[in-house]
Formats: sequence, C-alpha cells, structure tokens
Amino acid sequence: MSLPCGTRNYSYNTDMAIIRTKTQWVMFSLFLLALFTLPFYLPSSWFDIVNSIGIIVIAVVGLNILMGYCGQLSLGHAGFMAVGAYTTAILSQSMQMPFLVSLICSGLSAGLIGLIFGIPSLRVKGFYLAISTIAAQFIIIWVLKNWTGVTHGANGLDVMQASIGGFIFDSEIKQFFLIFSVAAISVLFATNLARSRIGRAFIAVRDNDLAAAVMGINIFNYKLLGFFLGCFFAGIAGSLYAQYKGHISYEDFTFQQSILYIGMLIIGGLGSSIGPIFGTIIIETLQKLLTNWVAPWLEQTITFLPTGFSSGLNLMLFGLVFILILIFEPRGIARLWSLFKGSYRLWPFSY
Amino acid sequence: MELLIQNIVTGLTIGMIYALIALGFALIWKSSGVANLALGQLVLISSWFTYGMLVQLKMPFLIGMLLTIAFAIILGWLIERLALRPLIGQPILSLIAVTLGLAYFLEGLTAFIWPQGQGYLPKAFSQDSIQIGAAMVQQELLWGAVISLLLFILLSLFFKYHKMGIAMRATADDQLAIQACAVPVNRIFSMSWIFACIVAATGGILISSIAAINYGLVETGFKSFSVVILGGMESFLGCIVAGPIIGICETFGGSLFGSSVKELIPFLIIIIVIMFKPFGLFGEERIERI
Repeated sequence: MSLPCGTRNYSYNTDMAIIRTKTQWVMFSLFLLALFTLPFYLPSSWFDIVNSIGIIVIAVVGLNILMGYCGQLSLGHAGFMAVGAYTTAILSQSMQMPFLVSLICSGLSAGLIGLIFGIPSLRVKGFYLAISTIAAQFIIIWVLKNWTGVTHGANGLDVMQASIGGFIFDSEIKQFFLIFSVAAISVLFATNLARSRIGRAFIAVRDNDLAAAVMGINIFNYKLLGFFLGCFFAGIAGSLYAQYKGHISYEDFTFQQSILYIGMLIIGGLGSSIGPIFGTIIIETLQKLLTNWVAPWLEQTITFLPTGFSSGLNLMLFGLVFILILIFEPRGIARLWSLFKGSYRLWPFSY
Repeated sequence: MELLIQNIVTGLTIGMIYALIALGFALIWKSSGVANLALGQLVLISSWFTYGMLVQLKMPFLIGMLLTIAFAIILGWLIERLALRPLIGQPILSLIAVTLGLAYFLEGLTAFIWPQGQGYLPKAFSQDSIQIGAAMVQQELLWGAVISLLLFILLSLFFKYHKMGIAMRATADDQLAIQACAVPVNRIFSMSWIFACIVAATGGILISSIAAINYGLVETGFKSFSVVILGGMESFLGCIVAGPIIGICETFGGSLFGSSVKELIPFLIIIIVIMFKPFGLFGEERIERI
C-alpha cells in the first residue's frame, strides 16, 4: 500500500481509514461536491448517459465482487439484472409495494437465483463455470420470454417511477440523485467488503481455492456468498433500471450486455474498487458518443459502404479495446491510475 | 412409431452439424487449453464471407468454397498471432476474456461489412427429401451429416497418425516437456486455430446453405457448447457422440412440448451435466494438487 510521504499512523483506526490525509479529504469532498452538483452545470440532455452510467456502475461493482475478488466467472450478469428488474416491476406494479421494499426484494431475488446457478462453481471452475453461467443467462431470458402469465412475454411490463414517502422521482435530475445515492452506497459497501475478513477470504479463494481450503476457509460458503453478493448488486441495478426506464422487456438484457459488463470490468481493472467506475464511465461514454454523434456523421460522409454499416462500429471498437487492454495492461485502467498517483506524489522528484 | 423414427433421424442429422462446430472447439482446447467462446461468431463471419463471394461477387461455387477455406486459414492464423500469442502464460480468466473480446470484434466486423442482417446462400444440395425406412429426411441435412462424419474421421486419423497431430496431442499433455523435445509449440497453436477456423467455416456453410445466414448462427454456436460439455472437452469421440444426443433431445423436446422449449434444451443439458457429471461422457477428470 503506497502512502504519501510523512504520513504515520498512531492508532489502528487511522491505519485502517480509506481516506488518510487532509489532501485526500479535500479531494474527496470536492469530488462528491462536483458529482452531486452535476445538475447545475451539465446540460440536461446528458443525463440519460449519466444515469445509465450510475446504474451500470452498480451492476459492474457486483460483478467485480464475484469476478475480481472471488474469481468466479459470470457470463450471465445481464440475466441476473433482468431478474431484479422483473421483480421490481411485479412488486411495485401489481402488489403496490413501496419502492425501497421492492428494491431490496429485487436484490434478494436476483441473489437467490444467482445462488442456484452458482452451485456448479463448487465442482467446476474456469471454462466450465463460464459455460454454466451462459446457460443461466439463456435459461433466465427464456423463462422471462415464455412465462407470459407473469412477465407478459414480448410485450414486457410497465413500471412506475420510484417514490419514497410520497416524493416521486419523475425527472431525469431527480432520478440522478436517487441512482447516484444508491451507487455511492454500493461502491462504499463493496470497497469495505473487500477489506474485511470476507474480502480476504474471497481473494484467497480466487488465488488458489485448494490452498484456501487447506487454510480453513470454507470454500462452499464463500463461493456461494460471492455469487449471492454479485447477483444482489445486479438485482439492485436491474431494479433501478426498471423504474428509470418505465418499461422493461426481456430484450433489454441480452447476452451481449453480459459480455459488455465483463469488458467494462476488465478494462477498468479487475479486483480494484475504482476499476468498475473507470471502466463503466469510459465504455458507456464512448458507446453513447459513437452511436449519437460519430455514427450518423460517418453514415453521411462515407457513401461507398452499405447503409447501416455503422451499427457494427460500436461492437468492433469495443472488442478491439477489450483485446488491447488484455494484451497491454491486463490490470486495467485502475493500474494506470495508481501509477499516475504514485508519480504525482513524488513530483517533481522521480524517486 | 413413425414420429419416433422421424424425430430420431432428424435429430441425428442436425446433431451431426452441432458436433462439427463443437469439433472446432475441441481442437483448440485439446492443443492449447484455450476455451474459444467466439465459436458462433467464427461460424457467422465465414458464412457471410461465403455469401460475399458467391452472391455478391457471383463467383462459381467451387472457387467460392476454396476462397472461403483460404479466408478461414488466414483468419485462424491472424487470431492466434495477434490476440492469443501475446497472452501465453496468462491466467485462464484472461484467455476466456480475450475470446469474448474477439467475439464482439468479429460480430462488429460482420455488421460493418454486411449490415443487412439476413442473407441466403445458393442451395448446394438437392431440395428433395428422401425416404429412409419410415422417415423422410431432407437431403441437405443428410449431406451435412455425412460431411461432418467425414471430417471427424479425417481429423481423428490426422491426430492419430500424422506427425503434427501427434505433436498436438503431446502439447496438450505437457507443454514444457514437448518444448524440451524441440517441437515448435507456437506453430502448433496456430495450426490448431487454423484447423478450428476451417471446421467452423465448413459448419457455417453447411448450416447457412440449409437455413439462412443471420444472428441465429451465433446461437447455434452457443448450443454447440452443450455438445462440448456433454461429450467432455478433451474428446473428439465425445463430440461426435454427444452431438446427435443433443440433436435428438432437441427434436423430441420440440415435438413433445412445443417449439419454444426446443431452444431451452441444450442449456438445460449444460446445467444438468455440469451439476452431476462435470467432465462429461468422455472427458478426463482433473485431479488438482496444490
């Protein structure tokens, strides 16, 4: 753990704090201030991007617990998100539950489904697990598509906007505060989880599960806990997505999306608390820029290619970035960030 | 009774094509230990390439096929050289993830060049059905099954007797030892990718000349994973046995419970197999030590 020069700890509390120096406190407060005053200076057309970043950050943070810390691959994260989204839709629409209750219930239901599909992780790992989570994705989507009595099949479900104690989140900016409050809590929870006994056990299981078992870590419990927590966050994200969009159908949660989340996580940096945030912001912004501005412009300027070619551009560019990051910086942008921090602390001296 | 036989024969022939695609997976896994999740996308892009050659550029059939094979060879070589080789020695997570990135890239590439989303190849085989016992079989399905079986036999012979094939099996067994015997492991990896791409291209041409070229080919790739899992990943024999089993289960499920259940069955089989017999019918059980 790199620490700024001249910082010494005199108690266990200061040693364990996330934010240690005055500068860090100032930077952190400024960041929070800048984040939550975003509505005052960002044009309101940007808020659909910002809000979807907030929702996806929650899902990717969950994936980070599962993949980055616990080392269990999940290629069905969008499927688990769908479970959360449908739970919210059903609870809030047909049973008139308050939003906070349905938010928690969505997390729990996604977590339970995750537990079921996490059971194979006790016997298999690596590629076998990847395949079984692919199967999970397709089975979940198949159920949502064909259980028409509850999910209305291809028509999807309408979802009410969230309301807490009579206050309805009915505009982009109100949604922004809701989504980012939940996102901030999730990130804080995940960061602290990683530093606790559970997080350390996860890391031991990830690095070598046999050795972890020999050391007395109950692999059974911790792998399933990893699946539960990862899918819990996915469910929360799905719930927020459902009430934000107002209408959901199974087509919103495709297999490509699951891969996209993995890509965001790996580009951001596996097993670091800041990685998911970087990855999501970069990929989501890039994709929105591409589809909203670059693609129409290319369609107009380049005429010799068949029309509609730009739809592939998004996928292609993402795949390329994904592969390049894996080859050249397998620990993601989070590592670049920590290198940068290390160098500006010492600036202008290089050692 | 008639329905039973009909289902079995249809399932068998469709299953053989799944088996062919799964063969492409087993090839790479067997020699380099990389799990190729871009299977469906390889099938997709080579089918579109065939479409481009035969329909858009109006080449004669034979030359189009040869060009497709050449394309598959170049594609396999490029993938191994550019994406996989820099990652030798990295953890399994990176290796799986890089094939996911590859899948995305290839899908984007096909959408970039062929954005229409749907295409039809000229029919290579006669459209008539023929009678086998009590069952009617589409001739093209039968041809597909025969070609898959031929390729399977060829590949098995290659792995059994050819020097390169033996070296590939040895690489799968122990990379360090085979390197000490002065076998160029890099070349073996790239050979296995080239073979896999050729197999995928063949499978792609067979499926897409029977049905259409669209995103469904990628889903066929996913379904082939159930063949791989059921048969055991290390085994060619597993592929060729499990393929027809999956095919038969699918057609039976489809005719008993309706066609929407048909899509679900391969994935249910994956979950069941992984829960109860994770290494499949013919796979080797791995015993791990610290």
